Amino acid sequence: MLGLPLSFMAPIVLAGLVALPALWWLLRVTPPRPQRIAFPPLKLMADLLPKHETPARTPWWLLALRMLIAALVILAVAGPVFNPQGGQQSASREPLVLLVDNGAASARDWASRVQLAESLIAGAGRDGRAVALAGLAEPASSIALGTPAEAEDRLRALALRPHMPDRNAHLADLQSLLAVAPGSDVAWISDGMRLEADDAFSRRLTELSRNGRVTVHAASAPTMLFLTDVENLANSLNVRVVRAQPGAPSTVNLRASDQRGIVLGETTTLLPASATEITASFALPIEVRNAVTRIEIVGERSAGAVLLVDDSAKRRRVGLVTGVTADVAQPLLSPTYYLSRALGPFADIREPRPGISDPIGQLLDQNLSVLMLADVGGIDKDTTARITAFMERGGVLVRFGGPRLAAASDDLTPVRLRRGGRSLGGALSWDAPKTLAPFNREGPFAELSTREEVSVSRQILAEPDGELSRKVWASLVDGTPIVTAERRGAGLVVLFHVTADTTWSSLPLSGLFVDMLKRIVALAGAAAADIGQTGEARVETVSPVTVLDGQGAFRSPPATARPVPRTYSDRAVHAHPPGFYGPRNATLAINTLKTGDRPAAIDFAASGIATRAIEAPQARDLRPPLLVLALLMLAADTLATLWLGGRLKAMTRARTVAASLLLAVLASGAAALNTGPAKAQTPPQAQAPAQAQAAPPEAAQGNAVPVPREQVAVAATTRLAFVLTGDRRVDDTSKAGLEGLTLALSTRTALEPGEPVGVDPSRDELGLFPILYWPIVAGRPLPGAETMRRLDAFMKGGGFVIFDTRDADAQRSGRTTPEGDHLKQMLSIVDVPELEPVPRDHVLTKTFYLIDGFPGRYDRGQTWIEVLPPPGPDGRGPARAADGVSPIVITSNDLAAAWATDRRGGPLFPLQGSSPRLREMSLRGGINLVMYALTGNYKADQVHVPALLERLGQ
Amino acid sequence: MVKTTVLTPGQRSPSARDSEQGIALSHRLPRLALEARRVSAFVNGVHGRRKAGPGETFWQYRMLTPGEASSGIDWRRSARDSKLYVREREWEASHTIWMWADRSASMGFASSLAQAPKVDRALVLALALADALVAGGERVGLLGLTRPMASRRIIERLVEQLACDVAGMDADLPPARAIGRLDEAVLISDWLTPLDKVLAALGSIGVQGGRGHLVMIIDPVEERFPFAGQAELLDLESDLRLDVGDASAWGKDYRVRIAAHRDAIAGTCRKLGWTFTLHHTDRNASETALRLAGLISSSRDMRAA
Repeated sequence: MLGLPLSFMAPIVLAGLVALPALWWLLRVTPPRPQRIAFPPLKLMADLLPKHETPARTPWWLLALRMLIAALVILAVAGPVFNPQGGQQSASREPLVLLVDNGAASARDWASRVQLAESLIAGAGRDGRAVALAGLAEPASSIALGTPAEAEDRLRALALRPHMPDRNAHLADLQSLLAVAPGSDVAWISDGMRLEADDAFSRRLTELSRNGRVTVHAASAPTMLFLTDVENLANSLNVRVVRAQPGAPSTVNLRASDQRGIVLGETTTLLPASATEITASFALPIEVRNAVTRIEIVGERSAGAVLLVDDSAKRRRVGLVTGVTADVAQPLLSPTYYLSRALGPFADIREPRPGISDPIGQLLDQNLSVLMLADVGGIDKDTTARITAFMERGGVLVRFGGPRLAAASDDLTPVRLRRGGRSLGGALSWDAPKTLAPFNREGPFAELSTREEVSVSRQILAEPDGELSRKVWASLVDGTPIVTAERRGAGLVVLFHVTADTTWSSLPLSGLFVDMLKRIVALAGAAAADIGQTGEARVETVSPVTVLDGQGAFRSPPATARPVPRTYSDRAVHAHPPGFYGPRNATLAINTLKTGDRPAAIDFAASGIATRAIEAPQARDLRPPLLVLALLMLAADTLATLWLGGRLKAMTRARTVAASLLLAVLASGAAALNTGPAKAQTPPQAQAPAQAQAAPPEAAQGNAVPVPREQVAVAATTRLAFVLTGDRRVDDTSKAGLEGLTLALSTRTALEPGEPVGVDPSRDELGLFPILYWPIVAGRPLPGAETMRRLDAFMKGGGFVIFDTRDADAQRSGRTTPEGDHLKQMLSIVDVPELEPVPRDHVLTKTFYLIDGFPGRYDRGQTWIEVLPPPGPDGRGPARAADGVSPIVITSNDLAAAWATDRRGGPLFPLQGSSPRLREMSLRGGINLVMYALTGNYKADQVHVPALLERLGQ
Repeated sequence: MVKTTVLTPGQRSPSARDSEQGIALSHRLPRLALEARRVSAFVNGVHGRRKAGPGETFWQYRMLTPGEASSGIDWRRSARDSKLYVREREWEASHTIWMWADRSASMGFASSLAQAPKVDRALVLALALADALVAGGERVGLLGLTRPMASRRIIERLVEQLACDVAGMDADLPPARAIGRLDEAVLISDWLTPLDKVLAALGSIGVQGGRGHLVMIIDPVEERFPFAGQAELLDLESDLRLDVGDASAWGKDYRVRIAAHRDAIAGTCRKLGWTFTLHHTDRNASETALRLAGLISSSRDMRAA
């Protein structure tokens, strides 16, 4: 019609257009309704007849609007169809078997594929043919002929799948169908792509369809792009962009995003005309690369253009343990501070929870690649065995020197260490801090330069032997090794002969330190991966957590998604759609294509199949849009009439809202009407636009353990505690002594402690007590390693232990007492800091009373306490962890016996000593000890009071 | 577009709101002006009649006429000399003012241009005047409803009576009841009644020589008729309706007619010796109240003269 592809189903109705002029006349004489005005003076004016009886004219535009509505309705009733010949026509009356590729490769033009299938079904419906429909990416199930309406329903239910179709699985069903209906026409809406080596499906299809009526609807050249083969290389993250066959050169934009969907990087690569694949690389910092979980081709809405990246390409996990007392308030003093800052950019750092008794074991449970021990001395046998096993499996142990390591005696070092280090001004004297020599070429630090000014003022020395030179990775200018390493099994042990903090050298402050650690961590190859496989043979299965839909958006897994074994490395199938499987911290990514997959184009010509284009012009019924337009104009006419009648303004606000709501409902209904009869194709892209974050919550690390009631009662008041040795006499003495001290504290100081309690360190929680009095009894069995680890944790967590050997009267120079030996054995696996006799100006002598010594029952014994750090150049001591409180005091004066009183307050034990005030002095010493433990360096700070006052006085 | 509202009968009867507004307005009236008038007034109210008679204030001493009762002798004055004197007081008598406010359906009309419905204005004016006049010593009554009262709670009394008077809700003319010769009437209405009926009503009220004051309440819409376009007019008191076609054209004729009607009523008043006051509901009530108070005072002056 008029050169347009337009035809009418009922052209006779168009004659109604003739009636429009009559309508014009009719509308002209029907004026809008007058306004009604209540008007009191009317009774006076009843005789005043209006002059103009003729109604106001209907405005021309309202008239035109109404004419247009009438014309539209007439046109719509006439049933116009645009492009009526567009539908698929076929002369055949045979059943139609419709095969639809609904896999990832169909994503780009899925809508037009569905339209094509619809028009094919509609055409079959017009011709009265039976239709069978099968989605080839669905799991194989019997294909049955049915009515076109049934086929249409099945087509609506057919969703775009995120995986590649497994066509061969359908061959058996197809065969049985074609055996039943031999003359069927087969129409295959194909994506034109295959992953198999040969075109078995199309070949078999032609064989099965004996009359050879196979029609393939496919794009002229499959141009879908896929992503595969992710590699996290040293400097970049690489992926392959692949396509089925060479085509037009195309610029591919790729985007990498992290778990939360935040874009981390974008890159562009050009796929040349002749090539089917190209490598795209993201040059991102490693920490950013490690966070990438999803790479996608921008603009390609397909699951095949999305590549999910799992933990296998993630950074190494490093565990940090320090032997130094933990103090969160002064992080700069902690060796782990420098390590975690240096490692942070490229490694995942795990630190033990504070106060845990077996930090190394706990960390080793977390699949570490690298374990770093900063100045950890005594390591018990079990832990040593575990660390050795860890290294055997490929783990890397990195140790840092320090006073505790210097005192330790384990074999977890690459070289034998000489006891006692050397330090500037020490016995093995240096005149100036040493600097690093250039790195040797064999070591992993070969490319690093030592130009940076790193000075070492103190180090641990290695025992020289023949092997030593091979183990040295870095040394000082005078040739003494500063970093040594040795292979242990598949792993490695590396020793820095300096501390991880800045007390011994400035190495941790330098950029060189970061580079050295980076190289060491990189050496920890596949440690974590190996651990998984050297375990038991049972393979863990992981459930889908988030999967992709056909458009490549995240969604929650459908009911058909099944768990996969962790070793699954194949491409996605229907039961295992692409997505993330397993818990968040150990995800397994399954992608549409597996590594190494290269899609190829199906050569239909070789199978003798004719191909037709997918996009076909569609017949379009113009009735709905015309009617909708008429409806909208009718609404406008109503509004205009209301306005002319003066009613629009009279409407209350609520009514206006209601009216506009009504209009909106009308419009949306109209829109639905517009698309309704055509096709209800809600593309699945609308279903899950938001990225599903359905990962399980991270396992709570510090989940609170309920505290037993009796512990609450004990902790409610501050109290002194003593260790139950098992020797009844000693325990009674300790109890009486602490009671005496408690009484003295209550009467003389602001502190009023509760009843002292005896604790069994192997069983009771030590953390509830600030002070622990531990009398040593020679004959008793040694506490277990577990107990000593707990004691170690207690001391590092800020606890204060008074070891009392009670043997001052038995000490002779050059000989050790049984109690001394006992204590030494006990503490051999505890990180005991360097000790010294209490100096005369130690804050311990000033915390409450000014005293000179700490006599007990004896006054000859020496009292040992942690060495104060040497004062800095300005005469002040450096700030120290745990408020500067020594975690340990060792005495031999039998303090408890001196404090002990009977019920009437009289002394229980005679004191040995010359001074009559010995008992008083021992109590004063006890009070000072308690005050020292409780107030920390607050008392030490008192020496600054004059300076503070002076500053305030300004 | 001008909007009009019509009050229901319930809304047209006086309410607490009206009485409160009346009280407020009466307080705003310049009581002092009325007081001043009272002092100089000759005839009316509690103002002295300038001659001896029953009253409170001293007027004059006169010689005792023989035969007069001895109780009238003012012995203190008489003791000064040898004659007997009688103390005379000034004759005082209060004046009566009759109020009437139209509460028919046509009064329950308000347009969006007005501040209040007409009936509200009428009631407020009537009550305010009553309060002010009673305070000034006059007696006020509702025409045809109550006897004259000088109650201090005059507003409440009048409102009670008005609220009870259901029959008066339909009357758009005052009851034909003659007032006394010296009485005055204040008639408040929209006077949208044919002229002859108004004339008859006024004549029967003033048949004994009483005078009065006519107040015409007008909604601005009734004066200007600002409508345009297709319109159909409805009367409030009858089923009368008029399709006026183009309202703006009809409005021209209407304005001429309504002006003529108003002038005719004003002319009638002048002829009868009554005063005529126009009140638009888009103006404040106090303006008209003040004018009325002035008119009432000056009418006394006129009579005194």
